Amino acid sequence: MWRRIASIARGLFRRAAVERDMADEMRFHLDARIADLVSAGATRDAAARQARLEFGAVDNYQEQCREARGLAWLDDLRGDLLYAFRTLARSPGFAAVAIVSLALGIGANTLAFSAVYSLVLKPLPINRPNEVAFVQPVGSVAGMSFPNYRDLRDRAVTFAGLAGYRISPMNIDVGGGAGAPPRRTWGYLATGNYFDVLGVTPALGRFFHADDDRRPGDAPLVVLGHDYWTTHTAADPGIVGRTIRINRLQYTVIGVAPRGFRGTERFYPAEAWVPMMMQAQIEIGNPWLERRATGNTWVIGRLKTGVSPAAATANLNAIAADLARDYPDVNKSLRFKLAQPGFVGDALGQPVAAFTVGLLALAALVLVIACANLASVVAARGADRQRELAIRISIGAGRWRIVRQLLTESLVIAVIGGAAGCAMATAGARALSAWHAPIDFPVQMDVTLDRTVLAFASVVSIVAGVLFGVAPARRASTVDPSAALKDGYEADSRRRYPLRDLLVGGQVALCFVIVAASLLSLRGLQEALTMPLGFDPRGVTMVGFELGLGGYSHDEGQRFQQRALEAAQRLPGVTSAAYGNSLPLSIDQSRANVSRADRPVDSAAGLPLAIRYEVSPGYFRTLGTRLLKGRDIDWSDAADRPLVAVINAAFGRTVMQTDDPVGLRIRWGRGSIEVVGVVEDGKYQSLTEAATPAMFVPMQQFYNTTTTMIVRSVMPPEQIVAATRQAIAALDPELTLYGTGTVEQMLGFVLFPNQMAAIALTAFGVLGLVLAATGINGTVAYAVSRRRREIGIRVAVGATRGRVLRLVLGRIIMLIAAGAAVGAVLAFAGARLLASIVYQASPHDPLVFGGVAVVLVFVGIASCWAPALRSLRIAPMTALRPE
Amino acid sequence: MPGTLDLLILKAVSLGPLHGYGVLLRVQQITGGGLTIEQGALYPALYRLEHRGLLDAEWGTSDNNRRARFYTLSPAGRKRLRDETQSWRHMAAAMAAALGVEPGEL
Repeated sequence: MWRRIASIARGLFRRAAVERDMADEMRFHLDARIADLVSAGATRDAAARQARLEFGAVDNYQEQCREARGLAWLDDLRGDLLYAFRTLARSPGFAAVAIVSLALGIGANTLAFSAVYSLVLKPLPINRPNEVAFVQPVGSVAGMSFPNYRDLRDRAVTFAGLAGYRISPMNIDVGGGAGAPPRRTWGYLATGNYFDVLGVTPALGRFFHADDDRRPGDAPLVVLGHDYWTTHTAADPGIVGRTIRINRLQYTVIGVAPRGFRGTERFYPAEAWVPMMMQAQIEIGNPWLERRATGNTWVIGRLKTGVSPAAATANLNAIAADLARDYPDVNKSLRFKLAQPGFVGDALGQPVAAFTVGLLALAALVLVIACANLASVVAARGADRQRELAIRISIGAGRWRIVRQLLTESLVIAVIGGAAGCAMATAGARALSAWHAPIDFPVQMDVTLDRTVLAFASVVSIVAGVLFGVAPARRASTVDPSAALKDGYEADSRRRYPLRDLLVGGQVALCFVIVAASLLSLRGLQEALTMPLGFDPRGVTMVGFELGLGGYSHDEGQRFQQRALEAAQRLPGVTSAAYGNSLPLSIDQSRANVSRADRPVDSAAGLPLAIRYEVSPGYFRTLGTRLLKGRDIDWSDAADRPLVAVINAAFGRTVMQTDDPVGLRIRWGRGSIEVVGVVEDGKYQSLTEAATPAMFVPMQQFYNTTTTMIVRSVMPPEQIVAATRQAIAALDPELTLYGTGTVEQMLGFVLFPNQMAAIALTAFGVLGLVLAATGINGTVAYAVSRRRREIGIRVAVGATRGRVLRLVLGRIIMLIAAGAAVGAVLAFAGARLLASIVYQASPHDPLVFGGVAVVLVFVGIASCWAPALRSLRIAPMTALRPE
Repeated sequence: MPGTLDLLILKAVSLGPLHGYGVLLRVQQITGGGLTIEQGALYPALYRLEHRGLLDAEWGTSDNNRRARFYTLSPAGRKRLRDETQSWRHMAAAMAAALGVEPGEL
């Protein structure tokens, strides 16, 4: 065995030396024979002749020797490869189309699937992830109150453990650069059992446990994320035990999370984890750990082995019934359900799943188009070579040899195309992983290439190419060479045409679907961008600060807020300035249970939820929200005056159930507030939400230490942000400012998913178009080359250019039209799926369908153009001359 | 007869290292000139035997000081020669017996 391999290896790598040795050996034999004959008395010439005669044909025996060494197939392979490269080089157009189709089909598919897998499908990097579920209160966005969580944790017997967490901004100061301001990052407040429930092992140091998280304010510990550790402490191995500052308080670093573990929300990665008992220190001025009405805790749990999700849900709901009985005011109709972890309950799960399905469907379509493309060009080419193959068979080439030759050619294309596809996918995955979204949030895509998909896409497209590449060989080997050699022979053209027609038509149809999808998404995005927000973000900048942190008392805080506002209003170019505790469409939204005060509470339905903002006078003017009825909040609504609120129109309709709510009172908690004005509806939590009730109460009456100052001005945003910062710093140089920038930048975050979706879909649309264009081009070029003679004759007997064009393009234009019609029907039928991919896409937008048809026809004609022109230049004489 | 040439080459080489021409001379010598093949046919056979690991080949110097390729029997070749010789003898005996039968002897 060894010997054989060694001998083949010698043949492979020391080819020239082996050949020389063989020749030497035979020459030695001849020379020795000649010498013997001469010494026996022959003349030199006679001896040489005699020796050669006795030896026989040297070439023939050398060939046999090569065969004996097992090298014949190598020679053949070499020949086949050389021949394949030569023929491909002779038809670079064909080679390019085939290789590009393969590369795009394999590369785009693998990349799309890998991205979706890494972002959505890959299990969280925790121990036995299939046992872990998100526990979500039915009807809420995601969170439950901390007291409710605590009761669940202590009473749920079907769970091995339940952990709570909360995403929170943190100002972290690792003390690296002297005087560098603390960096605002996103971390989790997590219950002590968080890491133990998940079963994660630290990369460095230790995690905190339940015992570390007993008394409020008494667990100044922090676990750093792996990325944070590498980028902000230069992967300092001595970080464990060091003290860092978070929101100006000292915390001890006890460990570093393992690489790749970024918390339990896929789209909200954590850079640090702090025990939940530090909530009041992290979210200063808003302690909610003991508030049963504040649903801020996200809960994730590990089911006990063998417990079914249904049993666990039943268990949770039994507890929920107890909690509803014990705390009827806040836990009315409390129920729980389980959701896939990682998607903020099912808040993101639905759109993400729809998007995933849509994207993968498009990726599959692109793969199908690529295969069809490849099949049609390879088949066309094969039919074109019928004659060549027939000639080769008739001069004695074995049929197997010809099949092998074609196979080699197909494989050469497959290998080059496949390699290009892999390179594309790899480069794409690397670029995606390195890319940081231009938003104030650590969105990280850790895209690793999925080898299974890479292999699948490669095998499918290569098999398609090889099958269609070898088919003509089979046909060629069954035709009668003498018939094929007859001048102008066309191998059963009538039978072959429909298959290729089908491929072209199908390609156009699929392309229609893809382009329709991407145009629908772009229209959707455009609509999302122009949708009424209920405010006008243009020209508004924002600066956030938190006064509880600076040790301000209630009175000091209110005085400071007023002074800062006055300072901002005095800045040149500022038309108005105001505060809100938060802004619409920012991540942080508060809700309140409210009802109409002069009507009894409908105990069956529970209390309606409204979004709640604490705002300063001038808030609506600064944000550009229109006042519809009544009056704005003003400075006369002081703390010692009657409580007032401005509501939006949806609040009036759904909660107050009247068109004229001004003067009515809202029941909120134990008190009530008078409605003094109504403003237009807006978007508060997402762009897709239906009209949601919202109320705005004066900040003077409902003090909040967390404020976002908004400033409307005519100055360039950077300038006004800097001026605002300076004005505030002049009042308190120690205050940490965050979230500075324009409101439009903040909205970028809300639009980010839509933008990503639109980009991905557009890329697919372009891909589909490119593939269809190359396919159509190849088909027309083939048709023209095949009908050269016919065209030549027609021109010779006086056909006009118009007739020739009609002859060449008639069929293909019919095919494009038929394909587009079928595609339109398909896209129309699938539009609902398309619409679910991108928000606001209206599924049956006539503009989109018309647009796609126009684009396709344009691309179709453009890709026919060059070969059609070539047909016009066919000179009758050259075309009629036999090849 | 198929296989005859291979067996003769193995036998020739078993008597001592030989180059290709030497093998030819030795075969002619031990068969008493009874072998009639084209001399070139020897080489595919030598290469085949080497490729199968029955012969070892090495470059050396011939009597007249030229570079020549010398073949020796490998252990596998020696075993093959033994086996083949044995089965050839059985076969030859059987054939001789068969062909020696006269009418009436049965």
